[in-house]
Amino acid sequence: MGLKQDSSEEHAKQNQDCFECWFPFYTFDNLSDPMEKWLSFGKQLPYDSGIDKQFLAAPIKSSVDKYQLVPEFLKVRGLVKQHLDSFNYFVNVGIQKIVSANDRIVSSVDPSIYIRFNSVKIGEPSIPRDGVSEKITPQLCRLSDMTVHSRKSYPKIRLEKKNVIIGRMPIMLRSCCCVLYGKDEAQLAELGDVDTGTTKKRIIIDSDKKGNINASVTSSTEERKSKTVILMEKGQMYLHLNQFVNKIPIMIVMKAMGMESDQEVVQMVGRDPRYSDLLLPSIRECAKHGVYTKQQALEHLEAKVKKSTYSGASSEKVFFLFFVRVRRDSFRAKCIYVAVMLRRMIDAYLNKDTMDDKDYVGNKRLELSGQLISLLFEDLFKSMIEEVKKRMDMNMARLSRSSRFDPLQYVHGDSISAGLERTLSTGNFNIKRFRMDRKGMTQVLARLSFIGTLGHMTRISPQFEKSRKVSGPRALQPSQWGMLCPCDTPEGEACGLVKNLALMTHVTTDEEEGPLISLCYCLGVEDLELLSGEELHTPNSFLVIFNGLILGKHQRPQRFATAMRKLRRAGKIGEFVSVFVNEKQGRVYVVPDGSGDKNCSILKTGSINKRCVYIASDGGRVCRPLVIADKGISRIKEHHMKELLDGVRTFDDFLRDGLMEYLDVNEENNALIALYEGKSTPATTHIEIEPFTILGICAGLIPFPHHNQSPRNTYQCAMGKQAMGNIAYNQLFRMDTLLYLLVYPQRPLLTTKTIELVGYDKLGAGQNATVAVMSYSGYDIEDAIVMNKSSLDRGFGRCIVLKRCSAIRQKYENNTEDRIIRPNREGDGAGRMQILDDDGIAAPGEIIRPGDIYINKETPIITRGPTVSPAGLPDRAYRPSIQTFKGPEGESCVVDKVALFNDKNNNLCIKFSIRHTRRPEVGDKFSSRHGQKGVCGTIVQQEDFPFSERGICPDLIMNPHGFPR
Amino acid sequence: MDGGLTYQRFPKVKIREMRDDVVKFELRETDASVANALRRVMIAEVPTVAIDLVEIEVNSSVLNDEFIAHRLGLIPLTSERAMSMRFSRDCDACDGDGQCEFCSVEFQLRARCHNDQTLDVTSKDLYSSDHTVVPVDFSDPNEPAEQRGIIIVKLRRGQELKLRAIARKGIGKDHAKWSPAATVTFMYEPMIRINEDLMETLSLEQKNTWVESSPTKVFDIDPVTQQVVVVDPEAYTYDDEVIKKAESMGKPGLVEIEAREDSFIFTVESTGAIKASQLVLNAIEILKQKLDAVRLSEDTVEADDQFGELGAHMRGG
Ligand SMILES: [Zn+2]
Repeated sequence: MGLKQDSSEEHAKQNQDCFECWFPFYTFDNLSDPMEKWLSFGKQLPYDSGIDKQFLAAPIKSSVDKYQLVPEFLKVRGLVKQHLDSFNYFVNVGIQKIVSANDRIVSSVDPSIYIRFNSVKIGEPSIPRDGVSEKITPQLCRLSDMTVHSRKSYPKIRLEKKNVIIGRMPIMLRSCCCVLYGKDEAQLAELGDVDTGTTKKRIIIDSDKKGNINASVTSSTEERKSKTVILMEKGQMYLHLNQFVNKIPIMIVMKAMGMESDQEVVQMVGRDPRYSDLLLPSIRECAKHGVYTKQQALEHLEAKVKKSTYSGASSEKVFFLFFVRVRRDSFRAKCIYVAVMLRRMIDAYLNKDTMDDKDYVGNKRLELSGQLISLLFEDLFKSMIEEVKKRMDMNMARLSRSSRFDPLQYVHGDSISAGLERTLSTGNFNIKRFRMDRKGMTQVLARLSFIGTLGHMTRISPQFEKSRKVSGPRALQPSQWGMLCPCDTPEGEACGLVKNLALMTHVTTDEEEGPLISLCYCLGVEDLELLSGEELHTPNSFLVIFNGLILGKHQRPQRFATAMRKLRRAGKIGEFVSVFVNEKQGRVYVVPDGSGDKNCSILKTGSINKRCVYIASDGGRVCRPLVIADKGISRIKEHHMKELLDGVRTFDDFLRDGLMEYLDVNEENNALIALYEGKSTPATTHIEIEPFTILGICAGLIPFPHHNQSPRNTYQCAMGKQAMGNIAYNQLFRMDTLLYLLVYPQRPLLTTKTIELVGYDKLGAGQNATVAVMSYSGYDIEDAIVMNKSSLDRGFGRCIVLKRCSAIRQKYENNTEDRIIRPNREGDGAGRMQILDDDGIAAPGEIIRPGDIYINKETPIITRGPTVSPAGLPDRAYRPSIQTFKGPEGESCVVDKVALFNDKNNNLCIKFSIRHTRRPEVGDKFSSRHGQKGVCGTIVQQEDFPFSERGICPDLIMNPHGFPR
Repeated sequence: MDGGLTYQRFPKVKIREMRDDVVKFELRETDASVANALRRVMIAEVPTVAIDLVEIEVNSSVLNDEFIAHRLGLIPLTSERAMSMRFSRDCDACDGDGQCEFCSVEFQLRARCHNDQTLDVTSKDLYSSDHTVVPVDFSDPNEPAEQRGIIIVKLRRGQELKLRAIARKGIGKDHAKWSPAATVTFMYEPMIRINEDLMETLSLEQKNTWVESSPTKVFDIDPVTQQVVVVDPEAYTYDDEVIKKAESMGKPGLVEIEAREDSFIFTVESTGAIKASQLVLNAIEILKQKLDAVRLSEDTVEADDQFGELGAHMRGG
C-alpha cells in the first residue's frame, strides 16, 4: 500500500504498495499434506482398483521420505551460500594467490633492492577513530553509512620484517571475516543483526559469461587475461588478438609456432579432404605473404605487433591461448589447440547442425562477488606495485643513497582502499588491465521485504544489453531444469534474461587444478605431446579436456569417467568436480559477429566437444545435489534418514558416504534422473531429492502452483517481493530511508514446504483475509476490490511507514563547526520548536507536523580562511540553518527514534526515523498469492456488506470477472 | 386512519435462546426491510463506550504508541450506561472537550516488568474512574485466576508502560470499536418438503449419498424406518447442493426447499459491552427514536401530501 490511485503504472517502481491477503476460503480435499498430493502426481495407479476415493485421497508413501534432506542442505549451504563461498574463497585463497603471483617490487635502478610480499592476511573488521582502531559490528556501520572494512596486512621480509597495511577491504556480511561468522542466532541477536538467511550490504550481480574459459576463447591466469578469437572471413581463417593491429592469417601463426610443414597442419586438423579444401585458401594466403619458415613468420608477426610499452617484446612472447602451457619452448600444445579449434570451425562450416546451443546452461559461468572482487583487487594491487616501483626509482635516483632508505614508506593502501570502495559504491567495474568495463555491477540489496531480499540474492543478471529483440536466450532452456527457477523472471524487457537460482542450486568456486591434472595422467590419459597430428583424431579415442584445456586422449573414456566419479564419491577429489563424457558428434557454435555478413562469423568454440571427456573444476558452474542410484535403487535407505532425524548424520555425511553427489549441467547429460524412486528403471543413475526444489525461493511460496495458469506464477514471483510484512528481526532497529512494516502480519493458513524452509512463516508478510467472490457496488470493475471498513478499523492491512531524515554537524576548514542550540521556548518560532529537547534535537515519541523544526542548527557565516577558535565565536557569527519536516498535510507522524554517531569524516551525524501509521485507502494495491492483484476501489461500512447465514462477513470482495480463465 | 388499506403489521418475536452474550430469536410476520433495519442498527448505531483518547507517559515496550492506542480502543468496555451518556460532541458540561464525567470515563494503566519473566499487560491492568465502565471480563469464574483479560502488550525486564486513556461514547458507524455486535445475522426460515414417494424409489445407498451431498447436516436417515428425515432445517445454507444432487441422480423434485420470506431467524452475539438481549432492545429503542425524528421533523409534515399514507402512518396513524 502506499501510493494513491494516480500512480497507475505499478510496476514502474517496486514500491511497497501491495500486500497480500490469503484466501482461506478455498477448500481442498486433503489439507493435511497438500504437497504430498502434488508429489504424488504422475504416480501410477493400479488399473483394476476402480475408483476408490479412499485410495486416491491417501497420501502416497514414497519409498523413502527424503524431504528432510532439503532443510539439512539449506542448513549446510544456506540459501545464498554461493555468495559467501565465493567471497570466502577470495579471502582465504584468491587474495594470497594474487599476491604471490606478483610478490616482488624490484627497483630498476638497483635490482638488489626489492620489496617482497610474503603473505597476506585480512584482519578483524575495524574502523579507525581518532587514531585508534575500534572493532565494529554491522549494525554500527549501517548507522554510520559505512562499509565494513577490514585491514589487510602483509608481513614481509627484507629490511625489517614487519606488518604493513596495504589497504582496507570491504567485507561481505556473514563471510568468514565478518564478526557474524560462526555465531548462532542468539549471539547474532546480541550483535543486533539477525536475518534468517543472511545479510549483506551490497550484492554483486552474477552475470553469466558466454564463451567462457572452458569453451575457450577467453583465458586467464594469475598473471594475465586474454581473448583469442579465430575467425573465418571469405573462406580464410585468421587469428584475432589484441596485441596485433590486424588479423593474422592462421597459417602464419602455425608456422611461427614451428609447424613449418603444411602437411602437418592438415594432418592435425584431419585428413578428410573436405578439411584440406577449406584450409587451402589459408595456405595460399600464407604463401602470398612469402612466409615459409618459422623465422619468416616471426618477422611477419613482429611487424604487426602493436607498439606497446613493453618494448623489446619479441613475437615469441606474444601470448595467446595462454592457458596452454608452453613447456621447454615447445609450442606443440598450442598448435594442437589451434588445430582442434580449426577442426571444429570447419565442422561447423560444413554442417550447421553441429553448432552449439549458445543458451545451454552448461556453457555458462556465473560470476560471483568473490571473483569480481578478486579481479578488482588484482588490478588495484598491480597498480599499486607499479606506483611504488616508480616512486622508488625516482627517489633512489634523486637521493643518491645518502640517507637511510626505506622503500616501505611508499607502500600504503590508500589507492587500494579507495579503489575498492569507489568501484563497489558506483558499481562501475572499469578494469583496463582485463579490458573490462561494465556498469551496474553492484546493486544495493533491496531491503523492502524479506522475500524481496532473498529473491535479490538469488538473482542472475545477464551481461549483455537487455534491449535485444531475440527470443532465443529468453526461452526456457531444458538444461536449466532444477538449476534455475522456471517461473521466476521479471516481465518486460528483462523477461527470460534475468533468472533466479532454484532452491538447491549451488554455484561452484575455483578448485586447485594441479593435482587433478596429474590424477588424470595417472588414470591413463595419454599426453598430447606424445601424439602425432594423425593420432589426434583416431576414431575410437576420446580427447580429455580439463577446464577447456586439452590434456590428451584416452582409449577407454567410460572407464576413465567411472574411475574419476568413484574418486569423487569417495571424497578423494572435490565434490564439485564434474566429469562428463560426450559421445555425440561435434557441436560448435558460430555466432554472427554483427556485421550481417554471413561468411564473416566469429567462431566461439562452444565446446571442443566431439567425442570428449570433460573434467571441470572451475568456478561459476551451477550444480545441484542428487541421490545416487544403483540400477535404479536408491542408495539412501530408511535407516539413513532416521539417522539424519536423530542428528547422527549430517548432509555432508551423505556426500562423504557416496549416497549423494553434486552434478553440474554437463554431467547431468550422462545421468538418467528419476523424479521418484518408484519411477526408476534399471537404467536410472540418480534420483531427485524433492521435486519442489526445481522452483526458486519466490515461486516456492505459491501454494498449488501446478493449478495456476503458468504466467500467474511468474506474476506472483514478481509480486511476492512487494508484499508488506516483516523485513528482518532487526527491523525496529534499522534506519533505512524507507521501511514499510505491517502492524499485524500473519502466518498463512496454507503453507508450502518452501515457506517453512526459508522462514517465511516466521518473518511473514500479508494477512489471511475472508474473501467473498461476487460483484458489488460497481466500484469493483477491472480488478478493483471492495473493502470492509470495520475490518480496516480493526487493523486489517494497517501498516507502519518509517522514513528517515538526517542532519550533519559539519566541520569547516577554518576550524569552525555547526552548532546545535537550545530552542527558544518563547517568542517567534517557539511553536515550530515544540518537539525539540533542550539539546536542540527532536525528542523521540513527539508528534511531528509538517513545518516543525527537528533540529535547531546554526552554521558559522565564515567557513573559510584563517583558522578561528570555535569557542570564541559570538552568536552573531552564526546564521540559522534549521531543518524542517516536510511531510504530507493531514498525516500524523511521530519521531520514532533518533540516532547520533560519527560519520566517515568524523562529523556528528544525526538520523531521525519518522513513523506514520497508515490504514488502507482507496487506491492501495492488494493481492492474493496467485498473481492476482487489484486496487481498493471503495471502502464500505460493515452493515452494508453481505453476510452469510452463519454471520460471516468478508473482509473484502473480489469481482468474479477478475479471475483468470 | 381512514378506512383504507393499512399496511400496519404486528410482528411477533419468539425467543429461542438467551444468554448474556448470545440471543437467538425468531421474528415473524414482517419483511426483510424491518429485519435488516434491526440488524443494521445493532451493528452500527447502538452506542457503547470505548477508549478514544490515549495520553502516553512512558512507553518503552516493543509496540509503538499508535499501536498500543489502537489495541486499547478495541477493548470492549461494559456500556450499560452508554444509552444515557452524552456524546462528547454535544456535551454542554465540557464544551465538547470530551473530558467530563457526563461524556467520558478515565482509565489509568501502569505496568512495569521487574523480573526476567515476560509480563503480560492486559485489560485487567486498566483502572477505571467509573466502576460501571470497566473492561469486559471474559474469564470464567470457575477457571483459575491466572486467566487474565485481553492482552495489550508484553513487557520484558525493565520495560514500562504508563498511560492515561479517555473512553467516550460512540457508535459503530464511526469506528468498529464502538460496535457492540460481534455477529448479527438473520436467515429466512427454510421450508423443506421431501417428496416421500419419489424418495422411496431410492435405494438405501442412494439415500445415503444424497444425504451426504449436503455440506451441512440437514437430513438424516432414520435408523429404524430407513426413511430420510429433516433433522435440522436451519442448518441449510441455501446452497442448492441437495437439489443439484437429486437432479444428477435423475430424480428432480426429490426435495423442495423454499425460503419463508416473512420469517427470520436472528442470531445476535455481543462483544460483551452490553448483554445481547439489551443489544436487541437498545436497537429497537434507537430505531424508534429515528422514526420519531423523521416524524417530528417539519419537512415530514410539509411532505404529508407527497408521502400520503406513509406520512400519516409515521405521525402515529
Ligand atoms: Zn462532557
